[in-house]
Amino acid sequence: MKLTIQNLSKRYRSGVQALNDVSLTISTGMFGLLGPNGAGKSTLMRTIATLQEADTGTIVLDDLDVLKEKDEVRKLLGYLPQEFGLYPKVTAWRMLDHFATLKGIAPARRRREVVSQLLEKCNLYEVRNQQLGGFSGGMKQRFGIALALLGEPKLIIVDEPTAGLDPEERVRFHNLLSEIGENIIVILSTHIVTDVSDLCGQMAIIHLGEVILMGEPLGLAADLQRLVWKKVITKDELPQYYEEYQVISTRLLAGRLLIHVYNQQQPDASFDEVIPDLQDLYFSAIKQHEAARLQSA
Amino acid sequence: MDRPMIWAIAAFEIRNSFRRLSTYVYFALFFTMAFLMFIAAAGAFPSVNLGLGSGGKVMANSPFLLHTFISALSYYGLLVIAAVMGHRAYQDFLHNTYPLFFTSPITKFQYLAGRFVAANVTLLVVFSSICLGCLAGSWWPFVDETLIGPNQLVSYIRPFFVSVLPNVLFIGALFFGLAALGRRIMPVYVSAVILFVSYLIAASLAQDVENKFVAGLIDPFGNYALKHLTQYWTIAEQNTLLVPLTGVYLLNRVLWLGVGATILVFTYYRFRFAQGGEDTRQTTDSEENAIKSTDIELPTAPSVRSNALRLLPRLIWLEFRSTVKSIAFLLIALCGVVFIFVSAQSTEKMYGTATYPVTSLVVELAGGTFGLFMLIIVTVYSGQMVWREREAGMGQLCDVLPVPTWLPFASKLLALMLVQTLLLTLVMLTGIFFQAQQGYFHFELGVYLQDLFGIKLIDYCLLCVLAVVVQTVVNHKYLGHFVMVLYYLGSTFMYRFGFEHHLYHFPSYPAYTYSDMNGFGHFVQPLVWFDLYWATFAVLLAIGGNLMWVRGLDIRITRRLSSALDRFSWRLRTTAAIGLTAFALIGGFIFYNTNILNEYRTRFDSEVRSANYEKNYKQYEKSPQPRITSVRAEVDVFPDERRLRARGTYDILNKTDEPISTVFVNLPTAVNVHQLTIGSVKEPNAVDERAGFYTFKLLQPMDPGAALVLEFDLEFWRLGFTNSNSDTRLVYNGTFFHSGNLPHIGYSSAGELADDTTRRKHGLQPKARMADVNDIAARQNNCITQDADWITFEATVSTSPDQIAIAPGSLVKEWTEDGRRYFSYKSDSPVLNFFSFLSARYEVRRDRWNDVDIEIYYHKGHEYNLDRMVKGIKRSLDYFTTNFSPYQHRQARIVEFPRYERFAQSFPNTIPYSEGVGFIARVDPQDDKDIDYPFYGTAHEIAHQWWGHQVVVGNVQGATMLSETLAQYSALMVMKKEYGEEKMKRFLRYELDRYLMGRAKERKKEMPLVLVENQPYIHYQKGSLVMYALQDYIGEANLNQALSDFLERVAFQEPPYTISLELLEHIRKATPADYQYVLKDMFETITLFDNRTVSASFAETGTGEYEVHLQVASKKLRADELGVEKEIAVNDLIDIGVLDKDGNFLYLKKHRIQGNEFDIVVSVPQIPAKAGIDPLNKLIDRKPGDNVIRVDG
Repeated sequence: MKLTIQNLSKRYRSGVQALNDVSLTISTGMFGLLGPNGAGKSTLMRTIATLQEADTGTIVLDDLDVLKEKDEVRKLLGYLPQEFGLYPKVTAWRMLDHFATLKGIAPARRRREVVSQLLEKCNLYEVRNQQLGGFSGGMKQRFGIALALLGEPKLIIVDEPTAGLDPEERVRFHNLLSEIGENIIVILSTHIVTDVSDLCGQMAIIHLGEVILMGEPLGLAADLQRLVWKKVITKDELPQYYEEYQVISTRLLAGRLLIHVYNQQQPDASFDEVIPDLQDLYFSAIKQHEAARLQSA
Repeated sequence: MDRPMIWAIAAFEIRNSFRRLSTYVYFALFFTMAFLMFIAAAGAFPSVNLGLGSGGKVMANSPFLLHTFISALSYYGLLVIAAVMGHRAYQDFLHNTYPLFFTSPITKFQYLAGRFVAANVTLLVVFSSICLGCLAGSWWPFVDETLIGPNQLVSYIRPFFVSVLPNVLFIGALFFGLAALGRRIMPVYVSAVILFVSYLIAASLAQDVENKFVAGLIDPFGNYALKHLTQYWTIAEQNTLLVPLTGVYLLNRVLWLGVGATILVFTYYRFRFAQGGEDTRQTTDSEENAIKSTDIELPTAPSVRSNALRLLPRLIWLEFRSTVKSIAFLLIALCGVVFIFVSAQSTEKMYGTATYPVTSLVVELAGGTFGLFMLIIVTVYSGQMVWREREAGMGQLCDVLPVPTWLPFASKLLALMLVQTLLLTLVMLTGIFFQAQQGYFHFELGVYLQDLFGIKLIDYCLLCVLAVVVQTVVNHKYLGHFVMVLYYLGSTFMYRFGFEHHLYHFPSYPAYTYSDMNGFGHFVQPLVWFDLYWATFAVLLAIGGNLMWVRGLDIRITRRLSSALDRFSWRLRTTAAIGLTAFALIGGFIFYNTNILNEYRTRFDSEVRSANYEKNYKQYEKSPQPRITSVRAEVDVFPDERRLRARGTYDILNKTDEPISTVFVNLPTAVNVHQLTIGSVKEPNAVDERAGFYTFKLLQPMDPGAALVLEFDLEFWRLGFTNSNSDTRLVYNGTFFHSGNLPHIGYSSAGELADDTTRRKHGLQPKARMADVNDIAARQNNCITQDADWITFEATVSTSPDQIAIAPGSLVKEWTEDGRRYFSYKSDSPVLNFFSFLSARYEVRRDRWNDVDIEIYYHKGHEYNLDRMVKGIKRSLDYFTTNFSPYQHRQARIVEFPRYERFAQSFPNTIPYSEGVGFIARVDPQDDKDIDYPFYGTAHEIAHQWWGHQVVVGNVQGATMLSETLAQYSALMVMKKEYGEEKMKRFLRYELDRYLMGRAKERKKEMPLVLVENQPYIHYQKGSLVMYALQDYIGEANLNQALSDFLERVAFQEPPYTISLELLEHIRKATPADYQYVLKDMFETITLFDNRTVSASFAETGTGEYEVHLQVASKKLRADELGVEKEIAVNDLIDIGVLDKDGNFLYLKKHRIQGNEFDIVVSVPQIPAKAGIDPLNKLIDRKPGDNVIRVDG
């Protein structure tokens, strides 16, 4: 299984360039799509999920043209949108059963099996006869995954699934995802760095509609070895540091500021070396991309 | 402190609403509607006929018309009020912004009041556009300036404050409260429907005189209060008076404003300035769920493209269920059912007496009244269905499913159609239940099924296609609703603008009427073709809708079009091509039928035709023409083919004293002329087929006294079908063919355009409605036909073997030949050139009165009132032969004909009587309010054998007083004799109401009775009142003697024919000196009274008697022809009556009343309950209700 995206571009009527010449190759396993809000993640996901057209470019799943052969793609697709609702007065079981029917899972006996397995899998079996309107955010999200898993999908797309979940729910959700992403393609978009570092073997960072980095999270982070330095400063000093260094992140620490800067060598002794993680990678990539764009503009 | 904050909140909202496009759209829409309708009412568009208000002599900018008009337009604003008010109260719940507001330092009162004030300001600005639109219209230069009076600003402003403002406040309060308390928008729309239903209920109540006041109160818009208040306003009053805020109108406004205030107070107390309801999350996620079970295998069930056709029923059912389970749906349907019941109680009544709930009537009524609710449901639920997934946030989840795109579209469409089926089943059950509740158990299921499921269901299904496609294409729920409302308005009003062809009016077809006699008859054929036509169109629409179905998130129109193109597969293209071809072919076939085989003529075209006839041929009106002296006709009716062949011979005689060299013959259009000859002239010299005008130049002029023979052979054959005005003369069962369809001689002024406004539109001078009463030339013609005086009549009529054919005269011979039935009729006495041929499968009820055969030809199943009709004939013949003169025929026949027309008409000895009038009347003998109108109607028509067939009147003013008024009087006397005086009061009460309403709708000028110009409200209603009062004043026998003398003098006379003034002289002679003045009041002028009793009390005298002290007030008014009234001195003999508690008279005598206030003392033997002046309403009184009051002890 291989999903190849080539030169995909999309501009909205408002003038926003949501995707700009995006090319990606995604193979089986969990693929993380990381980017800040408004980076174009959702546009990309929806385009892969047959919900939107692109202006130019192609998306190919093995030998399927995703943009043209939508009906074929939909048979292989499991999709969990960033925001979705559910009929509040319908029970979990009936809703899932209904979708199973629409996915062509027949006969009824087989469908019952599938539905009950999926509910079990997503820890919703016990609440199967409750109305969806009473579900908490986490339950709703798990129900969404159950929907996405229906019908043995080969390509699963989950758009910011952990936004708004409490830490515990997030863990549960990650467990669920990691289990399914072994033989099929799972694309997960998020702006939370740890989602990717916890789950994904492959990742890409997308910013302002462009792919700015792609690879394995661990390897990419390792590339920043001896390039990221930290220092604790006072708030007043910050502008000065911004002036002098490439500050990639700031964080409050006991009322003072902990800053990470990107620099080819240790700026001075007051800076300590940081073992770079994905967070540093993410922020530095974005900062550099922004700087590059500013220069070219 | 409160105040500035409220203003701050309101101002913020007001600014917001003036940044919304919708506010401007509403404003522009109402402005345009008001402007267009105003200038249309002022005659700006020659082909437009709005039929608003009075027209004629009432100015488009008269205070009355403006009031009616501005109010009426604002009722359409109901939806705008719902949108604006609903939105203001609901927006914070919609956008989830309410926590932000509720936590800010404002009070509940400030929050609510600010919002409410803001919405009201917006609405008032929007609705001010109606007044401005009208005002702008009045400045428009291209109007008929005779319809514009002097502009008074107050006439535009007053309705805004009296009608629009209170409505906005009350309705706004209701909607605001519902949206704020319900935190949903649906209750607003449901309550809009309920409001509308109460309006409709008021409308249906207002049809009965006795319920008008109640109707005026319960109509939340105040329209029926306004109508009740102004119902009797004359032209002059309409033109000059500002509608006062008094009486029932004031009560209505106060009542509903009070209700609105109550709702606001309630809303304030119940509104919770907090998170709504309990937390909806009841489900808790147990801790052990956190540990997932990894041993569960993922299901292995690959998703396949399943058989969509098998999914379809399931999806339809799902959509259907979720619709019919919604409370709003149930409420709307319930409203519909309630409304069917209410309107069924009060419609189809004559003089307050009901008809049998025969299935065809119930179906028509139930289907018709429920229709509106069907439209509401189609409009609302097409939106609900199309948006269901997206509104639930499931749009994306559903769009990525491996199902074909047509599946959701088709399932929603079909589900909506299934909903229609359910609703029509509900209509049928309601109808059956209503029939059973009325004690009527002859349920004709076939009629229900055919009408509701064979015809109406198709309409609604077609409409569903439109609604769903509109929702799909527009892709905005409320805009979609709005488009549908525009469509409904367009389809309601397009006829008025001259767009009358059904070929471009989806999904319409020529109107049909079910008749018990003829079933759906010939209406079926056009219905089937038009249904096919629209069905193919709907298929095309549906294909288009399907292509435009939104799947995914790209809603840009270019994207949608390009994806539509992608979806437009070859299979679809083929289907569309076949559909388009079929649509074109069927359309072509329909066009061939409506426009080539038959003539397509709009109302305006017909006017043009009449105008042209007049312009071309009026010059011949005065040229001398021969008169028909005998008619011999052979008429063959072929009911199965809807064909009739009429051969005949007229003897024509030159009765003038000049030679005649040119004869003009009129024929109907759409006739096949096989032969038309006069004497030796075998061909007309000039033929104008469109006008039906044929000119014969005689080889030798006809000398005075010379005779000739006119021979004709005409064939009437309905080929194909028409776009409208389907020919109901020739039908499968119930042919009714009038002598007007046979050749007539000379220019006929009967077809001239009568209305002056219409005449002006066509460049014709205004014309007098009738010739002056003393116009001796006009008196040479009788008011029935202009080409004959008295004729002898003979006719042989043949028809199919299962039918009976009838013509006036004695049946001379009846035989069967070549499988057809023949009937030969011959008149026994001279008759007018006025006859008809009828043929149907009749049952016959026979009876005898002395040597007169009574025959009633009726449709099997319509036996209900045969006894009443027979009795009516017998009692009438008794009374008329005793009091007037002998009966001139040997038969008296009543012949039923289908209810395509609703009248009864008296031909010589033969009275065709519509099945809709009298045959299915349900007179309850136990109910002393019920009026036996089959009996009464029969008596009226029999009376025409005297007044119309013995006394024939000159074609001048006052003519109908001698026919209709005297027939009314005669029937009243027969009824009085049979049912007693008590019944008459109720009957006359209806007549009074209809007279006063009639004069308010006069378009030209009201005439005194003796000069009546064929004005029904005068010759029937005022005639009844006047003649009844007259016989009460001068005595029945006395009056009858005068009538009998008059008859003796003028019956069967040759021209010049008699006139109303001659009768009046006879009456004058019979009238005692004391009462001479009433003749002037009743016949020669328009005189009205305003009688009332000011106070009444009684005291025991000690001798066992009771002395009643009455103070009465009497005002006597003379009106001119436009209704300008002038008070004149009262010096009249008027009834004073005292009643006991059971309503029996203890005292009833005429007193001479002088001056405006008058005290009277009378003694009665028992305790009086009520007393007053003119208690039986014999005089014409604009406020008849205040004549009698309670007597205080």
